[in-house]
Formats: sequence, C-alpha cells, structure tokens
Amino acid sequence: MDETVSVLVPVPATAPARVRVLVADDEDDIRELVCLAVAKAGCIVSTSVADGSVALASARADLPDLAVLDVSMPGAGGLEVCTALRTDAATAGIRILLLSAGASLEDVARGLAAGADAYLAKPFGVASLVHQVRALTGGQPA
Amino acid sequence: MTSAGVPTADLHLKPRAGLRHWPRAAPHPASLLQAPLPSTAMFVAGTALLAGGAIPVRNGELVLAGLATAYLATLVGRLSGAPSLAGKGTALVPPAHLVAVALLSAGTGSPTVLLLLLGPVLSLCAAPGRGGVLLAALGTVAVLVLPGLLTSGAATTDVLPGSLLLGPLVAAVGGLAVNEATRALRSQAAEIDLLRQDRATLVDQVRTRADELDRATRMLAARAQTMTSVIDAVTEQSIIGTDQDGVIRVWNPGAEKMLGLPRAEVVRTRSIVEFHLPEELESGGGDLVALVHAAEEHGSDVRDWTYVAADGQQRTVSVAVTPRTDDRGVHAGWNFVGTDMTEARATERMKDQFVSLISHELRTPLTSILGYLELVLEDEEQPLTDEQRRYLATVERNANRLLRLVGDLLFTAQVDAGRFSLEPRDVDLAGVLRSAEETARVTAAAAGVQVVVDVPEDGPVVPGDAVRLGQACDNLVSNAVKFTPSGGRVTLSLRAAWVTADGEVSTDQRPGSVPVARLSVSDTGMGIPAGEQGKLFTRFFRSSTAQRNAVPGVGLGLAITKAIAIAHGGTLDLVSAEGEGATFTMTLPRAAG
Repeated sequence: MDETVSVLVPVPATAPARVRVLVADDEDDIRELVCLAVAKAGCIVSTSVADGSVALASARADLPDLAVLDVSMPGAGGLEVCTALRTDAATAGIRILLLSAGASLEDVARGLAAGADAYLAKPFGVASLVHQVRALTGGQPA
Repeated sequence: MTSAGVPTADLHLKPRAGLRHWPRAAPHPASLLQAPLPSTAMFVAGTALLAGGAIPVRNGELVLAGLATAYLATLVGRLSGAPSLAGKGTALVPPAHLVAVALLSAGTGSPTVLLLLLGPVLSLCAAPGRGGVLLAALGTVAVLVLPGLLTSGAATTDVLPGSLLLGPLVAAVGGLAVNEATRALRSQAAEIDLLRQDRATLVDQVRTRADELDRATRMLAARAQTMTSVIDAVTEQSIIGTDQDGVIRVWNPGAEKMLGLPRAEVVRTRSIVEFHLPEELESGGGDLVALVHAAEEHGSDVRDWTYVAADGQQRTVSVAVTPRTDDRGVHAGWNFVGTDMTEARATERMKDQFVSLISHELRTPLTSILGYLELVLEDEEQPLTDEQRRYLATVERNANRLLRLVGDLLFTAQVDAGRFSLEPRDVDLAGVLRSAEETARVTAAAAGVQVVVDVPEDGPVVPGDAVRLGQACDNLVSNAVKFTPSGGRVTLSLRAAWVTADGEVSTDQRPGSVPVARLSVSDTGMGIPAGEQGKLFTRFFRSSTAQRNAVPGVGLGLAITKAIAIAHGGTLDLVSAEGEGATFTMTLPRAAG
C-alpha cells in the first residue's frame, strides 16, 4: 500500500535528448538515485547539489530545463527555491519537480502553490521518477 | 457567604414567643354554684349564730343532728368528689343539706334558719336539667313541713299555710331563673372550651410548620455548605459563575490560582470577558456572545479558550460553558468550568511534530532502499540469479511493510490532531470490495484461505473518500485472511439497507429510516474472546488469539478502519465468538435510491 499523494503530468512517447536537469537534495543516496533516474530518462544532470541556496544560484546562472528539488534542504528549502525561480522572469520558465517526504494533501497543495509543475512524495519508485522527468521535459528543446 | 462566593440562606429563626405557654382555663361560674362549699359556709355561719345564742335552741338533739348531717354530707361529698368540684359524690350533698336545714329548723323553730335553704336550693337549681329545680321545690316543702312532723304538732315553728305554698313556689321560680342562667353560662363555657381546643390545634399546627421550616432551612443550609465546600475543594480547575451580563458572581480557588486574583477583587466587579484574549472574542462575535452563543444554542459547549491571568500570562484552557438558572428555573447567568490544557496542548504539538519528524526520517531512507532495490531488480544488463532475486524480494517486501507502518502511524497522528481530511466523491463500494479481494488474493491463496465475494452487480454508492474506504476494506480483508487458518473461508458481502432512528437495520424502507450500505467481512478463523472485543478498536491493542498464534501486526489497522468509518458518518461493529470466526460490519450512509 502506498498512500502517498503525488501530482503527475502526462508522459509523452519520447523525451528529447540532452535536456539539462538540476538535481538538489541533501541526502546523498537519494540525490544519486535521482541522478540515475534522470539519466535513465535520457537527460543530462547539469548540476547536482545538496544545498538550496547553491541550487538557486546555480539555476540562475545555468538556466537548466528542469529542476528536481527536495523540499527539505539546508540553505533554502525546495519551496523557497521554487518561489524564487518563479518570481524571477529569467528563471520562471524552468520546469520544477518537487520531491518531499510530506505526503498529505496539504503538503502537495503547498508545493503547487509555490509554483511547482509536479510533486512526488517519498518514497517514490524509480520508474515513476523517470516518467515524471520525461513528462516535464518532453516539450523542451535539445 | 463563603469563600467561593456562593450565597446561602439566612439560617436563624426568630424565637417563637407565646407559642409554648397558654393561660389555664378559670373555673366555670355555674360549677361554683353547684359546689357544696357556699352551702357549707352558710352552715358554719349558722353554727356560729347558734353557739352565740343569736338563734335560740329548743331541741338540742335535733340541732346537733342537723349540724352533724350538714358537715358529714360536706365531708362525704369532698372525699367522694375530690378533686372534681362536681363529682358524683357531691350530687348527694344538697339533699342532705336540705335535711340538715329541716332538722335545724325543727331544733330551733327560728325562721332565720330557713335562710340556710338558699345554699342547697341554689346547688340543686344550678345542676344541668330541670330535675334539680323540682327537687329544690320539693325539698323546700319538706323543710317547711318536716319540723312540724318531727315535733309532733308542737308549735316549734310557726309555719303558715301560705309559706308552704310560697316557699316552694319561690324556690321553683328562683330555681328556674338560676337554672336558666347556669345553662346559658354552661353553654358559653362549652363554646369557650371549643374555641380553646381550636386554638390549641392551631398552635400545634403552627408549631409543626415551624419545625418543618426549621428542618428545611437546615437542610438547605447543609446543601449549600456541601456545594460550597466541593467548589472550594476544586483547586486545579477554575469554576466561574456569572450573571446574564457576564459579571462574575462565583470565583473558586481554582480560578484564583489559574488567573491570579483573589475572589474579593473579582466578584461583582469584574466581567468574565476581561480574562479572555480580545482577539479570540472578536473572531467569535465579540464579548460575552462569543463565549456563550454555542451553549445558548446547544445547552452546553466545550472548547479551548485563551485565559489571560492578572500577570498577563496566557493559558490554554478547555472551558465547559453551561447556562445557569435560579430557583424558579429562570435563566440567571452562565457557568464556566475551565481546565488548564497549556501543558497538554504543548505535549500534543510536540507529539505531532515528533510523528511528522519520524515519518519524514523513515520515509527518506525507505526511498533509498526501495529505489535502489528497484534499480537492481530491474537491471536488464546485469540479471540476478533466482536466489538473489528471492533475497531482494524479501527485502522489498519488508521495506514495504515498514512503509505501511509509517503510513499508519502518520494517519493515526492526523486523526488524533483532528487533521484527518477526506476527499468526498461518489464511491462504488462494490468496486472497492472487489479491489480488496484482488489485493488479498495472492496472500489468501498462499495461506490456503478461500475468499468469496458476494456483492451485487450494481452495488450501492456512498459519498466518501475512495482511497480511505479502500484502505479500510484492505485492512478488514487482510485481517480476516491473517486470522483464518488454512482451509478456512473469508466472505465479503455488500448490501443496501435502511437504519431506523433506534439503530434497527432492515432491508426495506421504514418511516424515519435512513439509507445505508452494509459492508461485511466474515471469516471462519480463531475469533476474538468476548472480554477483549471492547478494546479491539483501541490503538496498539492486540488480541490474545493474535499473540498466541503469532499473527503479525501492531494493532493499528482496526483503529484506523474505525476512524475512517466514523469520519464517513458510519459505524464499524463486530460479532465474534472465540473459535468461531468473526464478522466485521461497516455501515455507511448512502444516497437514497
């Protein structure tokens, strides 16, 4: 039984190659797992960081196609980074996938209100993550 | 008035002066006339006149006999009639005195002696009835005639024929007047006696009422004292009574302790709203209305409020508000009984945070475990051996078990914190039950348990949260499978029904009944002992049969299932006997039709 709540988007048939993805999670094991899933989705991990502030700075400098952000991180949390990216015109177009151990409806609502495109509650399956990465980057240029 | 400020009745009675002692009744005048004493006094006077020679003595023997008769009759009358003045013995005294007068008259021949007739004649005439008058007249005749007879015709007394006629006539007429007067006096005396008896009865009644009032007053005082002592004994809860305007009238030691003000500084001078956080009152409608409107509507109200003590310290207090009535049942104000929940609420928040933290900290490593397991198990480039795959499947199964436990703990914490929310929509219960069967199918087959699904094609639809109802059904079915030994059977059934106001379930609609769906999960397993059934829905409770048979679980499933049923406005009931299986029935409201 998995009673976690996630908000997902439809998966396109194929994902374009060389899509750049920023991965931010303070848990090394999970960050590596996300990076593996991103690779399985056919994308490139442009940046992999453990700190929210660093992730924000990197996103502003690098302008990745997708940011996969953990909600609970040192420096700045995923929600904070998400809000900052959305309020900056230069970064507002970055697709955002939030990861969180918070699995309630309220947690998901907070994530979407902050501007996330999708929300995946932990523990998530690798296959689900791969599908989400593909779904969120399907329309992005290579 | 006591320390809690509870008013008490005035306990002191005024002395009941005049109720205890009453004047004795005076002797009746008629009874004085009847008494032999006046007559005897006249005989004493006559004796003195005889002794002094004022009345000459012609026959000493007759005089002595007359005096002896008079005094002897008086003595006998006194002895036989004592202590009553009108006793039976005294009735013989007047006739005897008439005889004595006759003897004296014969012995002296003096008309003066005839004056002694007055005493016995009055006594006879004063007696009740007319017989005394007749006797007095005849006695007078006898007195006038007897001396002549005793002296053998000698002229001892010159008794004229006219005297023989007038004497009895005067005695009769005078006697009648006396008799009538004494009768009237006797009648008045009887009325006075009746009045006196009535008065005595009234006095007794007044005395009885006074005693009853005294007892009632003492009882009221005792009750008031008991209530006051109880209120004063409450030192950890605030008990505050107000009038209709919120002005404080009762303030117990608990209130003093909680809010830091002595009773004398509060009662009649402060309002209950002064001890509340203004923002809370404003959001509830302002002032006293915010505090009492729910109690006014429903009869009572219990909720958390923030009290502000004299030193400004804020306390979270669970306050029970009830209306207060006076002795005539008229609304007189409000009672506020408060329990300080500051520490308890802080503990609850801490527990909530702890559960969230644990949930987060467990979910994060589980993400890694399940994620990497998935990568390994599905790595087509480096396929695993069957043995490796079996080992890792065990790891995955247990990781998922741990994940379920984390989910259950988090859900339980949400229920406790009142943060359990539903996403209601129309739910096809038949589909939910079939899904539960599918979920349990593999496990049941492995355990040798047959699962039978008995649901109608077009099953009842209920408004509810599909995920939560699915979770509840999964719990019931997985429980039934776990508690049923190999060869047993689990039956899932679903029926539309109606429930009356008194809880009776029927398959047909009755007046006042409401439509429900009844979802039952029955098994032929080990059952639950009767003594444990009441605790079965308590968190972390595990039945003795579960422990004896090493059935896995932590005791959260049924608590969660019941919480889900209640959140949907339904019920969850159990029928079971040890060794004969169990039937859990979830009843949920459904749309009519």
